Amino acid sequence: MSEAKRSSSSVPEGAVAPGERESRLRAWARDRIGWDDLVHLAAKKRVPVHRYTIFYYLGGMALFLFLVQVATGILLLLYYRPSAAEAFESVQYMMADVPFGWLIRSIHSWGANLFVGVVFAHLISVFFLKAYGAPREMTWVTGTVLLFLALGFGFSGYLLPWNTLAFFATKVGTDVPAQIPGIGHLLSRILRGGSDVSGATLSRFYGIHVAILPAVTTLLLGAHLLLVQRHGMSVPRSVEGKSRRTIPFVPDFLMRDMVGWLAAVGLLAALAAFFPWELGVKADPFASAPAGIRPEWYFLWMFQGLKYLPSKIAGIPGETLGVLFFSILAAALVAVPWLDRRGKRGVAVAAVVVLVGAAVLTVLALLPVPSPAKP
Amino acid sequence: MKSRLVACGLLLVAASSANADPSTPPKAPNTCVDCHFALDDARVTPPVKAFADDVHAKAGFTCVFCHGGDAREEDQEKAHDARKGFIGKPIPRRIPELCGKCHSDPALMKQYDPSQRVDQLSEYWTSGHGKKLVQGDTRVAQCVSCHGAHGIQPVKDSRSPVSPTKVAQTCDHCHGDAALMAAYRLPSDVYEKWSRSVHYRARVVKADLSAPTCNSCHGNHGAAPPRVDSVANVCGTCHVTFVDQFKLSPHWEPFKDMGLPGCVACHENHEIVHPTEAFLEEGPESKCSSCHETGSAGARSAAAMRADLTRLDGEIRRATELVDRAAEAGMEVSRVRFDLVSASNALTTARSQVHLFRPSALHASVAEGLTVAQKAAAGGEARLKERDFRQRGLFVSLGLILLSIVALVVKIREHDRRSGPPTQE
Repeated sequence: MSEAKRSSSSVPEGAVAPGERESRLRAWARDRIGWDDLVHLAAKKRVPVHRYTIFYYLGGMALFLFLVQVATGILLLLYYRPSAAEAFESVQYMMADVPFGWLIRSIHSWGANLFVGVVFAHLISVFFLKAYGAPREMTWVTGTVLLFLALGFGFSGYLLPWNTLAFFATKVGTDVPAQIPGIGHLLSRILRGGSDVSGATLSRFYGIHVAILPAVTTLLLGAHLLLVQRHGMSVPRSVEGKSRRTIPFVPDFLMRDMVGWLAAVGLLAALAAFFPWELGVKADPFASAPAGIRPEWYFLWMFQGLKYLPSKIAGIPGETLGVLFFSILAAALVAVPWLDRRGKRGVAVAAVVVLVGAAVLTVLALLPVPSPAKP
Repeated sequence: MKSRLVACGLLLVAASSANADPSTPPKAPNTCVDCHFALDDARVTPPVKAFADDVHAKAGFTCVFCHGGDAREEDQEKAHDARKGFIGKPIPRRIPELCGKCHSDPALMKQYDPSQRVDQLSEYWTSGHGKKLVQGDTRVAQCVSCHGAHGIQPVKDSRSPVSPTKVAQTCDHCHGDAALMAAYRLPSDVYEKWSRSVHYRARVVKADLSAPTCNSCHGNHGAAPPRVDSVANVCGTCHVTFVDQFKLSPHWEPFKDMGLPGCVACHENHEIVHPTEAFLEEGPESKCSSCHETGSAGARSAAAMRADLTRLDGEIRRATELVDRAAEAGMEVSRVRFDLVSASNALTTARSQVHLFRPSALHASVAEGLTVAQKAAAGGEARLKERDFRQRGLFVSLGLILLSIVALVVKIREHDRRSGPPTQE
């Protein structure tokens, strides 16, 4: 049979036809990495089609932005120097002298914000579509922990350029754990690598940002994706009985995903070109804190909330109660699948209250600070 | 039971009295205060009230230290007995010596404030005020005219009329009185002129207490106008470099010979405004043309210095404008700004070198400044070009991304058409 085929084709003797080369490659891959199983798995995966399908794209978008962060972060590592003496200057050098250094840094900074925003949106959509119900509890848990890790990336990365704003915002941020009774001060010291924010904090945050968090995130992300693959896409109850239409993940859904990813790349490029991420002024630990210091937008509601709390509530420091409240909120978020077992509306109502409260506090924190009256 | 409790209370009161600080002597009676306060008289009561907050009262001094008399006597005649040193209200001519009795005594002053000077009285007699007072002119200022009489506060206390921020108004109280100043043929617009000066702006508007007020140049207790030949020394207390250069300039000797008051000849005395390059060119603001005729060597030197300074100033402005534009576009400009600071420093040096009055003296600083300013301008231009490159690159990239999206959408549609509607499970 193969002899007949070879004689009928125009391929010269000794040469390999393109189709045959492909089949040889596939055979090689099949024998070594089980390629056919992967193709089968991809072909088996299907995505439900209904009026909420658009929310399925948020997970893919978050994954894509995470990969952008990994790629740009690795490039930044080639020039960044993690010490109080050189960090600022190395970023300055990247922004001014390294070809396309400005682009990589700006994309990394803007990308971080988009990533956190998309992760939030993904979480909110999964929450309101109640996709955390059995058997997807662990998918939800890994997702919420991934959100906390994303916030950890944002917090640790904010200090790395070692500018005034980041320095003082980190000072405020690392003061927050100190409010926890008993172990608070120890936690704050561990975070800072000393009693105050210093070069030791920078080294520590660098290690957390480029080694510890990526390792933990990779493991959890793997688990999260595996669970999504294991349980398939959740269909909201409101549309469950109405339609059972699906499309294949590869290539139908993936191609649609890619449209979003290309748009995200365009948006990041535009932001980097028109609004390059500012570097500011080098941190001076001996200078007084400048007016209007504040953390990244996703921490603003907590920052503002702690500011509004009275110094004492029933004899307990207000900030301690605030930190306790945020800790309970985080624990409740992780435990949502178990808190919402009876399918009542209480959890959803509480979530709406928290979201509206957080939005109001964020807006209040973004309002311009009135300048002090001149004497 | 009740009587036992009362007894315990009495014992506690007695014990607490016995524990009172034994080092504090019982307060001596002060009938001056008792009577003058009780009189509630507009002439004698306010001084008693004001004295309660006086720095001397806080140090333990009482009325009799200045006014004499006996504060233990309840009878007015006995209290006001001249044999006990009672002098009543001191006459102005006697006030400096009265204050000097303590303030010129180093041993006494050391007990209260070891850093306090004790030469105020001797200085006062050298002042314009002191000289006139000796001649019997009691309208001139003496101690209480400036420090007050009964509510005296330390100079560093902002309530004191001679505190650093109030001293000019205190001087103006008399020196702004046109009728009073006319008698001495002195101007009464000194405060107004000073309030238009760079010194006023620094001291009052910018709250820089190192900037001079009246006593910085005239002295305080020995207040007198600087002599013509000492003006440069007075200004040189702060403007050291300018005066050093001026002394090396070809103007120094002729100014002395002509009796011109050094710095004041060009910069005025009280209305010292911000100097500009216009001082060097012909026109209403010119300082040189009042002595140097048009076309003379002096006028040509002034024009050469002005041209150099104007050129450097213009180049710095151009560079600043470029760098600001680049910064607004989000470009990294910190190193270029460092160059701008160097160029501005060179301009400041060149401006100070004007006091050498030799064009060649400032030319080197101007040349150095021009080089750095041009480098900064080139840096600004390069960053603006980089911004344009980025934006062009962005549009090309966005075009490619858009094309890819369109191609992908076309591919999706084609794929959907071929594979049909979503599968019904």
